[in-house]
Amino acid sequence: MNTDINELIHNIVEKLSRQFDEIAVLAVTRRELMTKIWNSEPSITQLWSKLELNIRIVKSRRLWVLSYETHDPEILVKHAEEVAKIADKIMEAELYAPLPDYALCKPLEGAFDYNAEHYMRDPSRLVDVLVSEALGTGVERVSGTIALSKIDRLLVTSRGYECGENKTEFEVYARAFKGDFTGHWAYGSTRVSQEVLREVGRRAGLYATITKTRVDFTPGEYDVILSPLVVGNLFDYVASMASALAVLTGFSMFAKYKLGDRVAADTLSLHDVPRDPVLPGAVGFDDEGVETSNKPIIDKGVLVTLLHNAATAVKMNTKSTGNAGWVRPHPWNLEIPSGDIREEELIRELRSGIFITNNWYTRLQNYYEGHFSTVSRDVVLLVKSGDVVGHVGRVRLASNFSTLMKNLKGLSKERFNIWWWEVRTPTRAPFIIVSNIRLTRPEA
Amino acid sequence: MQIDPLLLYRIVDRGRDLGAQYVEARFQDDYGFVVSVRNDKVLAVSYYRSSGVGVRVLVNGALGFASTSNISLSNLLNVLELTVSQARATSSLRKKPIVFSEEQLGVVKYSVVEKKPLLDFNVENAIRLAVEAYNTVKSTIREVKLPFLVTTIRTHVQEKLVVTSDGAHIESRVPRLYMSISSTLLHPQKGTLQRMREFGGSGGIELIEQWNHLKILVEEHTALEKVLIEGTSPPSEKVTVVLGSEVVGLIAHESAGHPMEADRILGREASQAGESYVKPEYINNYRVGGEHATVIDDPTIPGSYGFYLYDDEGVKARPRFLYKNGLIHEPLHNRHTARLFNTRSNGASRSMNNSSEPIIRMSNTYIAPGELKFEELIEDIDLGVYVKSYMEWNIDDIRWNQRYVGLESYLIRNGELADPVRNPVLEFTTGWFYSNILAVDKNLEFHPGTCGKGEPSQGVPVWFGGPNVKLSKMRIGVLT
Repeated sequence: MNTDINELIHNIVEKLSRQFDEIAVLAVTRRELMTKIWNSEPSITQLWSKLELNIRIVKSRRLWVLSYETHDPEILVKHAEEVAKIADKIMEAELYAPLPDYALCKPLEGAFDYNAEHYMRDPSRLVDVLVSEALGTGVERVSGTIALSKIDRLLVTSRGYECGENKTEFEVYARAFKGDFTGHWAYGSTRVSQEVLREVGRRAGLYATITKTRVDFTPGEYDVILSPLVVGNLFDYVASMASALAVLTGFSMFAKYKLGDRVAADTLSLHDVPRDPVLPGAVGFDDEGVETSNKPIIDKGVLVTLLHNAATAVKMNTKSTGNAGWVRPHPWNLEIPSGDIREEELIRELRSGIFITNNWYTRLQNYYEGHFSTVSRDVVLLVKSGDVVGHVGRVRLASNFSTLMKNLKGLSKERFNIWWWEVRTPTRAPFIIVSNIRLTRPEA
Repeated sequence: MQIDPLLLYRIVDRGRDLGAQYVEARFQDDYGFVVSVRNDKVLAVSYYRSSGVGVRVLVNGALGFASTSNISLSNLLNVLELTVSQARATSSLRKKPIVFSEEQLGVVKYSVVEKKPLLDFNVENAIRLAVEAYNTVKSTIREVKLPFLVTTIRTHVQEKLVVTSDGAHIESRVPRLYMSISSTLLHPQKGTLQRMREFGGSGGIELIEQWNHLKILVEEHTALEKVLIEGTSPPSEKVTVVLGSEVVGLIAHESAGHPMEADRILGREASQAGESYVKPEYINNYRVGGEHATVIDDPTIPGSYGFYLYDDEGVKARPRFLYKNGLIHEPLHNRHTARLFNTRSNGASRSMNNSSEPIIRMSNTYIAPGELKFEELIEDIDLGVYVKSYMEWNIDDIRWNQRYVGLESYLIRNGELADPVRNPVLEFTTGWFYSNILAVDKNLEFHPGTCGKGEPSQGVPVWFGGPNVKLSKMRIGVLT
């Protein structure tokens, strides 16, 4: 964070201190590059250079959040001053707690990779590697995205907290096509690696070419293997429902559970890991200046933690978990501990069932009950007697998150750092095997 | 407009000097507030503003885009040079150069007319509106509990100035207002039911009166309470299905609008939102349905949530007949896909904010209505199911295999609506749906939504709509 921005933020805190009881300013500076690939060629390269100024102001327990991306920070200050004039006309916020007391700044180390800056100057080598690797598997074409970011974050509060940290992000995903057969893989990290770039291309190509056979499919209940892409997508929903705000507003299957209740098979744990410097959601302090910590949300099948900021913690008579969000607490990075099945043994372990390699469009009928469905994309394999029979085409997984988590039968030893369009919370996920899951497809 | 237009012209001129074949400079300012209320208590009041310049260039057949919130001339020139340089660097990886279609471009300024200016609608008004919604629903329900009702109200003013190197100059201002009400009904023995109802449009405060939302909330929650307490499973045999406007509109959006986006047909979104069952050779050649299968996308509907008159490439907007009496007719185009299809752009290029590249988007998508009254639509049905609203839905990545789970639903018996039905599950293909529309009524309604597409994902306001639609007999699933 450069000194101009530092000075700007202190000025904002000082100016607004006269009119508000509390001020927190979170400034995020982003330099980002993204190249999209279409039919094995770059379709566009995008660059962003942004300053996001976020202000949390409180007067007499009335709380406002101002989020501005603007060329003129004075507009933001003027707006905040106008807010002060009308403060008394607004009712108190239901979820309010004072900002935490002064704490030492302990930024997270090890989440910055200078290579990211290097490749942001010219990403064409990365594009070439990804495309070549995928095409090398024998597919006809490849699409995908390579994104690099450099992010500086600075939080200053009127309680005397001041802390800044920086990190880089590397996101890559590819979809490979061979006729009607497609494969997909993804990866996210704070560090650039040509080796994983190759792996993304290779795995996308591998799934697109894993079978040449199209086979019939009958809707019903199946034992299924879900790839880390699917696991990342579905457990992003589970972790979001562990946000205390989701529970307090009914948008959570955990609203009807207490901490300590069994919600999953004892082989399943789900952790929020903000202090993992490799996953791109890495963060040392939350938006309220609380030091982050790694912790289980679900531990061996038992719900043990809801994610809190200061206000939801007060409402639920507990302490902040370092997951602010000024309004909504949220997970930073997710991790599912591995199991003991080796990746190459998964299909044999399944014996009979369906292997879903990727999904999208997960939607819920009822968050409180956890009813959901999601649609497969890319290759879906029918497995019989421990062997792949062929690709069944697109199917829908229609179930309930409780059923999904309670019917978990096994996890792979290998895990993968997944981050892409359909998995927005970076997740280190294994393959999982789940029994008796309903799969559907229209009759016509 | 908080920018000197000359700045954008300087950028366009400099881009041409740097060797770009096409330069587009867009100042965009999106601002407003969001109020969230849980039951009758304020959860959060947020103000937002995203203001800056997006520059897109075409260099040696490669596209580059850059965006910045720092709009000083020196920074803009710096950003321009970077994006020209990046586009030039990646152009060596392209075999086929990107070329834009030649178009008649607009030089215009337009604003949505507000009868009561949106800027007069303040946070206090919004909180009052939200609390009123909660109290209304609370006093409507009789036997079930209402543990959660979350109301979100959002104002959004979007101001744009688009200047292109081939002569477009489009200045626009579109104010929008949006409200969503998410309620959870709970019965100790029957479980829970959740509903999210949305209202939205472009204009001023007058929209609130037009929505008539309190009456709708009372009607819906009276009905939903009955569904929760008395709802039974749908018939197990195949029955005639009638879908309400809300469901029909969503189907039009998902299974006609999205697959008819030309960039999706050509594979540009393949690794994100997917491709399309529609192939380029299907245009005006492939029949996806019958005579009632007419789907229109029209950005020019006054008061609509997806309203605009010129797109972000300077092309005049007009209604597009995506499907016409069952025939796949006209995809949504920008200037790039228009060139590839050897046609003219129909003005479908939109950007969410200044950070977003313009891409092909829907606006207000709907199935054309007919002449029948609702009573006439169902009068010959001995046994059927009417699905008026939904919660869960999804569709596959080529927009063929889709699912909708009904919320407010009823049996139809002897030509009349009868007992409530709980959670009917409809799964069908796009081809089946459009080929099995037996009749449509005249009750065209629209619903707002935020359509997601692109990378980074861009959510843009849209309407989707349609009449009530009668379908052939189908098997209805149940939620398990």
